[in-house]
Amino acid sequence: MRQSQPNPHSNNFSLFAGRLLRPLFIIAAFVFLCPLYPALCAERPCGDAYVTASIGDAVNLIPFLASDSTSGSITGLVFNGLTKADKDLDIVGDIAEKWDISEDGTEITFYLKKDVRWHDGAPLTAGDVKFTFEAILDPKNGCPYIANYKDIESVEVIDDFAVRFKYSQPYAPALSKLGVAIVPEHLLRGEDLRISKFKRDPVGCGPYIFRKWNTEQYIILESNKDYFEHRPYIDKHITRIIPDQAVQFLELITGGIDEMTLTPYQYFYRTDTEKFKAHYNRYKYLSRAYTYIGYNLTDPLFRDKRVRKALSYAVDKNEIINGALMGLGEPCTGPFFKKTPYYSAGAEGYAYDPERARLLLFQAGWRDTDGDGVLDKDGRAFKFKLITNQGNKDREDIVTIIQRKWKELGIEADIQIIAWPSFIKEFIDKKNFQAVVLGWTMALDPDCYVVWHSESSKKGGLNFVSYKNEEVDKLIEEGRRTFDNKKRVEAYNRIHEVIAEDAPYTFLYFPYARTAVSKRFRGIEPAAAGIGYNFIDWYVDPGDMRY
Amino acid sequence: MMLKDVLANKQIVFGALVIIFMFCAAILAPLLARCDPYQLNLSADERLQPPSREHWFGTDDLGRDLFSRMVYGARISLSVGFIAVAIALVIGITLGALAGYHGRWVDNLIMRLVEIMMCFPRFYLILMIIAFLGPSIVYIMVVIGVTSWTGLTRLVRAQFLSLREREFVIAAKALGASDFRIAFRHILPNAFASVLVSITLSLGGAILIESSLSFLGLGVQIPTPSWGNIMSAGRFYIDSAWWLTLFPGIAILITVLSFYLVGDGLRAALDPRLKR
Repeated sequence: MRQSQPNPHSNNFSLFAGRLLRPLFIIAAFVFLCPLYPALCAERPCGDAYVTASIGDAVNLIPFLASDSTSGSITGLVFNGLTKADKDLDIVGDIAEKWDISEDGTEITFYLKKDVRWHDGAPLTAGDVKFTFEAILDPKNGCPYIANYKDIESVEVIDDFAVRFKYSQPYAPALSKLGVAIVPEHLLRGEDLRISKFKRDPVGCGPYIFRKWNTEQYIILESNKDYFEHRPYIDKHITRIIPDQAVQFLELITGGIDEMTLTPYQYFYRTDTEKFKAHYNRYKYLSRAYTYIGYNLTDPLFRDKRVRKALSYAVDKNEIINGALMGLGEPCTGPFFKKTPYYSAGAEGYAYDPERARLLLFQAGWRDTDGDGVLDKDGRAFKFKLITNQGNKDREDIVTIIQRKWKELGIEADIQIIAWPSFIKEFIDKKNFQAVVLGWTMALDPDCYVVWHSESSKKGGLNFVSYKNEEVDKLIEEGRRTFDNKKRVEAYNRIHEVIAEDAPYTFLYFPYARTAVSKRFRGIEPAAAGIGYNFIDWYVDPGDMRY
Repeated sequence: MMLKDVLANKQIVFGALVIIFMFCAAILAPLLARCDPYQLNLSADERLQPPSREHWFGTDDLGRDLFSRMVYGARISLSVGFIAVAIALVIGITLGALAGYHGRWVDNLIMRLVEIMMCFPRFYLILMIIAFLGPSIVYIMVVIGVTSWTGLTRLVRAQFLSLREREFVIAAKALGASDFRIAFRHILPNAFASVLVSITLSLGGAILIESSLSFLGLGVQIPTPSWGNIMSAGRFYIDSAWWLTLFPGIAILITVLSFYLVGDGLRAALDPRLKR
């Protein structure tokens, strides 16, 4: 298998245009299109700043050590990986020019681009690649994604710009997982990554150079004039930490920020006006993400599958979508993206059925023996804490709706809304919760080892609900071993069905991304990958520049 | 006499009437509330409805009746205020009496403790403790209480310092009364007037702190209504659904204002030096 060749359709033009017509057509196109698209003719104007807002601050800017979305979006601009997903979500080379895969699928040789430099001027070489994967695989660094790379047997430097990965067995998600950001060996060799200054002051090779991080306030990036693709047209990228969507919206309409994720209400009622649309573009597309209720399976309350199923049957997903999201979501039944074949149509969807929920609870031995309206069993009342993070209006509404539904069955959930930093560090990472409403963003490859394999339930793993199922473990491993997509589809469909049956999560919905971006930014082309994939091509006309 | 002075003061009468009204609303909440304050109604024609005959104060973003939530919210806001002040009162009077009556090193120790406590900006101290403990109604009452006793301690101490040299105290001592009896049966009742003023002022402050905490999401947790968190949820709709922020805002304003009016009025009525 090789990297895809140039687009075969690019020569079709000559079939329609004769030798004489071609120069005329080109001149005509030039004359007509030039005034409309100055960017096609000359280089786009450089300058201005793009100010975005985030609810939570970044946690760690060493790309493979962070699992939160703010850190991810910052490191995505500062670092590059061997591969990346293009706008159609196909895997293409990033700092890798091309690659070869051996017949048996266990060896991949990457040939790196030769003009990639770190922001301090040093060239990026195969040594950096080797160093990065050694760091990821070093258990003492605590990379939460270590399981994605555990089959790497060796990383071998062939020459300065060629590196070979040997896997102990075939590994289907390899190309997509090897897109993880590469870090500079010359700055990190000998450093303890857990305490390194690098995590707050990173040096990458990407389109933006890290400049400043003021905790809980802002992170400033500056364009890399020597970026190997081309100089990004927007000079500065500023992420402001604003932990409240209502305040973010005020900042947006007063020009303090240029982009934000709108609440459904803001989308339908605050921004659907001529005045707003004159200054902002709105983008809406189904996110590769899902929101769920997770149950801590180590808690005795949730050990019984019938109880978890009952809790799922008691939740009306359509009510949540129509109520809290004003229709801006689609019901979800499992951990794969709906628009991929891995998502099984046959999985149990837990359509709202309170009678069935009641029956399941009864079968599991929960009844209201003392007549206080709350179910009990062996002297323990069915009460627990339901937590979610602060600042996200959707989730605050969702927990209110769910709590009400559960209460109708005699289940008492105490809501606790917790600010993001302690929510992740004190409650999720330490498995210190009973039930949680949270969301996952899905990677391109359906491999879900880090969230669903029993190995990932160990300390620091992302399987914080401690889900363990031998069949799922086996299927996840199978899905990694085969390159035959049909077999992978079968494996992931089955995983979807088994997880849905076990109900460690109540899968709620895939949300629609609802983004508003200031109209002065041009060059945005929505695609399967969303809008941010071509950020370095965005630009602002000189007359519109603000900063 | 005293009661006559108090009743003649319009400020006190007005404030007290408002407070009594709020209390009645809180106590009679189940009778006054026209709907279940937790009942969601997610259909589009029930959400964010402006005030009308069915919904006097309109409905919120999840279709709940705002008036019902407000009367139940009064229960939470007022009880947080009272319990917090009660806690502050117990700590404040005990420490103040101890410092003022005993004097010497005990006085020194307690006063230094008060000064240390007063060095911390109170609201940030409360924020920090709540962030550490996690928000819950009980914690909020306790935390507001244990951070609000310093002013009261100083006040009680000052009263004790001046009263303990008075003849009736010397008389009690001569009769062989115990220290405890002298402090709480003889001196404290004489300090009652100024303590009462301090209590009413503290109540207003405590309600305000609870509202601020709830507004910031660190106070009473949803879906339990409190004036602060109703306002907080309303901030998303501040320019389109004004009733969500206006009504709880007014409730907080007039309740806190009434406590201050009563406190201020009592001080004027009970302090002979302020009399004309």
